[in-house]
Amino acid sequence: MKKIMMANAVGATLALTTLNAMAAAPADWSAVPAIETGVFYPGVSPVEWVTKGTEHGGARVLRKGETCAACHSEEIADMGEKMVSGKKIEPSPIAGKAAFISTTVQAAHDGENLYLRFSWKQPAASGNPPMDELNPMKIAYMLEAGDKVALAGQAGCWASCHGDARTMPGADANKTKYVKDGSLAGGIYYDLNQWRSGENKSFDGYVANHREMEGGQALAGADGKLEGDTWSVVFTRKFTGGEGDVVLVPGSTYNFGFAIHDDATSGRFHHVSLGYKLGIDSEGDITASKL
Amino acid sequence: MTDQKDPKQKASRLSFLRRPSTHYSLGAILIVGIAAGVILWGGFNTAMEATNTETFCISCHEMGNNVYPEYKETIHYTNRTGVRATCPDCHVPREWTHKMVRKVEASKELWGKLIGTIDTREKFEDKRLTLARREWSRMKANDSRECRNCHSLESMSSEKQKQRARMQHKMAAEDSMTCISCHKGIAHHLPEGMTEEDDE
Repeated sequence: MKKIMMANAVGATLALTTLNAMAAAPADWSAVPAIETGVFYPGVSPVEWVTKGTEHGGARVLRKGETCAACHSEEIADMGEKMVSGKKIEPSPIAGKAAFISTTVQAAHDGENLYLRFSWKQPAASGNPPMDELNPMKIAYMLEAGDKVALAGQAGCWASCHGDARTMPGADANKTKYVKDGSLAGGIYYDLNQWRSGENKSFDGYVANHREMEGGQALAGADGKLEGDTWSVVFTRKFTGGEGDVVLVPGSTYNFGFAIHDDATSGRFHHVSLGYKLGIDSEGDITASKL
Repeated sequence: MTDQKDPKQKASRLSFLRRPSTHYSLGAILIVGIAAGVILWGGFNTAMEATNTETFCISCHEMGNNVYPEYKETIHYTNRTGVRATCPDCHVPREWTHKMVRKVEASKELWGKLIGTIDTREKFEDKRLTLARREWSRMKANDSRECRNCHSLESMSSEKQKQRARMQHKMAAEDSMTCISCHKGIAHHLPEGMTEEDDE
């Protein structure tokens, strides 16, 4: 607790005295190592389903401590296809929706800020009426430190996905994402950063026992653009922030996952990634090295 | 002299055994007996094996209309190499002693057929979980012996399996698990109302 407060004080001082952090983002991303991965359509697969052995054979493997990626990393597109077509765990499939969006992820840092770049080709529109009138596309990622959120170390963002959250079948329209035993004070939360294309605005929030979209201080900003049919979004995130912001320390790894709300969707109709490890100068599925 | 007994007439009780006619008749009985035994045993076995065929199993509508169409949707019925496992391959042990035990147990099914315990679709669905659990516990108790008639973890090719299967089978080998623990529903629809205990 004391450490976080100290970090906050330092962060606040830095924020007041540093120039606009956006100016330090790499100009040339081609030199930064890239991970080719992707996001898939997840159907109705809340953590309650994922951990139920009679529904999902992987529940046993999860109980043994393995990650989702250990079994599923080679078949992300196939999984998306099964769910988007309605063959499995999707009671209301949307015709024409993409099964899988191949995404390039790059990460770098300069000692003060983490720069995350996501790039992908915009899939064809499904023709479905927009759920989010303002934003044709949204992209978000979550960070978790210390494996305090149960399953975050194995399943990325999945611990925030519950069957009773809004847009899930039969759920209360006002109930947001949450994590079991979520508490900011206890350090049990995901740090959530999002950029919305229509509003051209970035949001820094968290998911604890409910989801707050704003109030974080670590996200300095995000720059997103669509060139032809290719999106490129760069997040600039300070190492430290305030309440609900995970503190990034070089040498550490963090639990990481990202999602794209393509096709003007909202709620559960996003495309999601498996859980990964993001390392700051340390080994992980994605490593942010010093520029 | 005449009171001396003929040594050949000693032990008169069993002496008939030495008579040729005895030899021939006993020999004939033995040979006919062996032949009859073979015929009878063969007959018994043929009759019993006749009850060990898919045709026999599905001759009862309880099986033919319920579990048989479900099985036809699965890989044990239709696959690229044309190899099929039929009802007895999974549900009747191959070894003679175990087979006899199972056949005696199965006579209960004749009674069930007589009184119609599952003779309608509704009755079958109501009893599906009970029937499934019975088979699952039988298979768990014999360490999936019938699965191992054809499959073995040692001979699985990790190159030919998908990543997911490779991981699961590696763990199954490490934890000495049995096939039926994970592969419930491999040949028939899973029943509703399964609980966490069914996941073992």
